[in-house]
Amino acid sequence: MAETAGGTAAPLTAERVFNEYAPRVYNLARRMLGNDADAEDVTQDVLLQVVRKLDTFRGESAFPTWLHRVTVNAALAHRRKRATRQQRHTHDPLDTLFEGAGDGHHHASPVRPWSVSPDQPVLDAETQELIEKAMADLPEPYRDVYVLADVEGLPNAEIAEMLELSVPAVKSRLHRARLMMRDALSPHFEEVA
Amino acid sequence: MAVNCRQLAELLIDFVSGELAEEKRIHIEEHLGKCPPCVIYVETYRLTIQMTRKLPPVPMPPQLVERLKRVVESEWGQGDRPSA
Repeated sequence: MAETAGGTAAPLTAERVFNEYAPRVYNLARRMLGNDADAEDVTQDVLLQVVRKLDTFRGESAFPTWLHRVTVNAALAHRRKRATRQQRHTHDPLDTLFEGAGDGHHHASPVRPWSVSPDQPVLDAETQELIEKAMADLPEPYRDVYVLADVEGLPNAEIAEMLELSVPAVKSRLHRARLMMRDALSPHFEEVA
Repeated sequence: MAVNCRQLAELLIDFVSGELAEEKRIHIEEHLGKCPPCVIYVETYRLTIQMTRKLPPVPMPPQLVERLKRVVESEWGQGDRPSA
């Protein structure tokens, strides 16, 4: 759903919503909720809302933005309904990175390069699975921001509005989420010494 | 003022997005010039973002496709049936 800025040239038809937008709703919900069954319920809820309001969006470029917002709200509502919000304490990854390393002048453990090329155009199936698993393991407040920023490509200000957070809070969560993801992926991609 | 490894890690989000103030950016680059672990850390932080952005969409399961078709049909009627 990253085409928020440019608008949509083609008219919104039932077929287009079903073929083009339903998979996007499903992917966003699945990654936010980390659960296939919940994502399916949310996709159905959102599709129903779209079907009922589609007439008001025919030819409108605001549709993808609206759909993002509706999907995020539906996913958060679904999570609240299930009362699965995680209460576990999350260690600050910055503390872990420098824990016991004195005054921040040294890393707590060796930092090794990864055997991954930034130019690799397509991720192999195993890498995709590792990234999806690491995202699903993020604590929910960090996962929400990470998915919206680094998977969906939304700007921080838009995420802040959707999640009712300040922009600095979004940036702080996003940074920590990225550090947690880096730490989770590192053992899989580090070059063998 | 020079930055240490921890301060660099705290400023990474703005450094990689190019939003860091010029003075701080120069301090970070000076630190990277003499700290190989931080060079690797910045590189792997960037790789994390780049790989995540390349994640392809996961196809909807067939049973969900069927379920959604039924929902759309019941709302719109048979005349506007999606062809997926």
